[in-house]
Amino acid sequence: MKRALLSVFLLGGLLGGCVTANVDEMTFDAPVAGMTDGSIVILGRRHAPDYDTEPDFIDCIGSHISRGSENINVIPEGQFVDAMYPWFEPRTAPLSIESVGRLMVLPSVAGKLSELDLDYMIWIDGRTQDTNSSGSMTCGVGPTGAGCFGFGTWGTESEYEATIWNFDAGAEVGKMSALTSGQSYMPAVVVPIPIIAPVQDTACDSLGTQLLQYLSAGS
Amino acid sequence: MVGRLLDSMTLGRKAQRLLTLITLIALAACSTREVVVEGSFPTPLVDPVPVSVGILFTKEFKEHELVDDATGRGEVSWRVSTGTAQVEFWSTLLPAFFHNVVFIESYEDLQTYDVDAVLIPKVADVQYAIPLYTNVKVYEIWMRYNLALVEPEQIIDKENSTISLENIQPFAEWPLTAYGKTPTAFMQSDSDAVNLAAVMALRDAGANFITSFLRVPGVMDWIDNPEEAQ
Repeated sequence: MKRALLSVFLLGGLLGGCVTANVDEMTFDAPVAGMTDGSIVILGRRHAPDYDTEPDFIDCIGSHISRGSENINVIPEGQFVDAMYPWFEPRTAPLSIESVGRLMVLPSVAGKLSELDLDYMIWIDGRTQDTNSSGSMTCGVGPTGAGCFGFGTWGTESEYEATIWNFDAGAEVGKMSALTSGQSYMPAVVVPIPIIAPVQDTACDSLGTQLLQYLSAGS
Repeated sequence: MVGRLLDSMTLGRKAQRLLTLITLIALAACSTREVVVEGSFPTPLVDPVPVSVGILFTKEFKEHELVDDATGRGEVSWRVSTGTAQVEFWSTLLPAFFHNVVFIESYEDLQTYDVDAVLIPKVADVQYAIPLYTNVKVYEIWMRYNLALVEPEQIIDKENSTISLENIQPFAEWPLTAYGKTPTAFMQSDSDAVNLAAVMALRDAGANFITSFLRVPGVMDWIDNPEEAQ
């Protein structure tokens, strides 16, 4: 039994070393000036029929930027969407910076955005999903206990694009993207041991770092 | 009960336990999932429409629930109670959307308060879809409302001193649709996902109401001259 468990841990460690994540980064517009002090909000796109950009991914990006710069105040997504209700719901959310201009015609909206003192609005569109999977695993319950045996593996892909709107300039000023992928494994000898590729976390770090560099450029 | 049933059979103790477990799993698979929709609803950021409106939530509206008895299909049945959340949501939205709002609870309220019109929302239909049915990894809720604006006099039954919704002729009447979804990846359980999809659908209903209200035929004329509803 001990030998079997040791083998599983060794296999896990070996396969853990095989977990890889590829990062593809693109920045279309070079930053011209960074933020010295101000507020931003990061919002997820939620209007696609079959997926929503994950709220925890948006939180992750926000935390990454907050940790990286004390000068940047990141307004939490939920707080912003509630404060602006119903103008940032999936049905009503502006798809271009020009649409925000049309919203500003409403005195209550203009007043609230002015109160929030927003410098940048960053939209994140994308998702993380499992791709191929293979292997098999059987689990059983008997009088002496329960256990599983087998091996499973699956791929995970994250694809996110960030679009940056500058409120002062009233223009879209940049786009960035992160594409990561990785392979996760789950060997099981009595106990299944998941070795999960940190695909989404890597995408968060990648996109968060790019955004932080953009927002901090020149400051 | 399952234990008693198995006691009556001639089985070994371990076999009985196993059978109990299997039976309980089978019963759980065919049980009814009950969801009482709960959520927090924000006050809308709007410039109020300058009218005074009475809001009448009917008993059916307050107690609305979606019941899908799937026992015949061998699937899990669902009972989704939206009534309380409907009342909570619209009670937050409407007072912010109209300049003055009175919630009409009784005949006396109608006699006491001077309102330009009474808004009567009705849930016409609620449908749901879960990944098991659609193979799409989202939980979905659709809602369809029928909304009516009537003159207060139309629903006053002076003879019986009650509110009557029979034979009313609204000066504005329109359908309102709403949709909410929750990806499977976000949720731990079916019930949580259906609840969140319902909350999203309610929020969408509010967004649709606010953005479409002034385009409803008859409404602009009424706002221009609220004392004389068409």
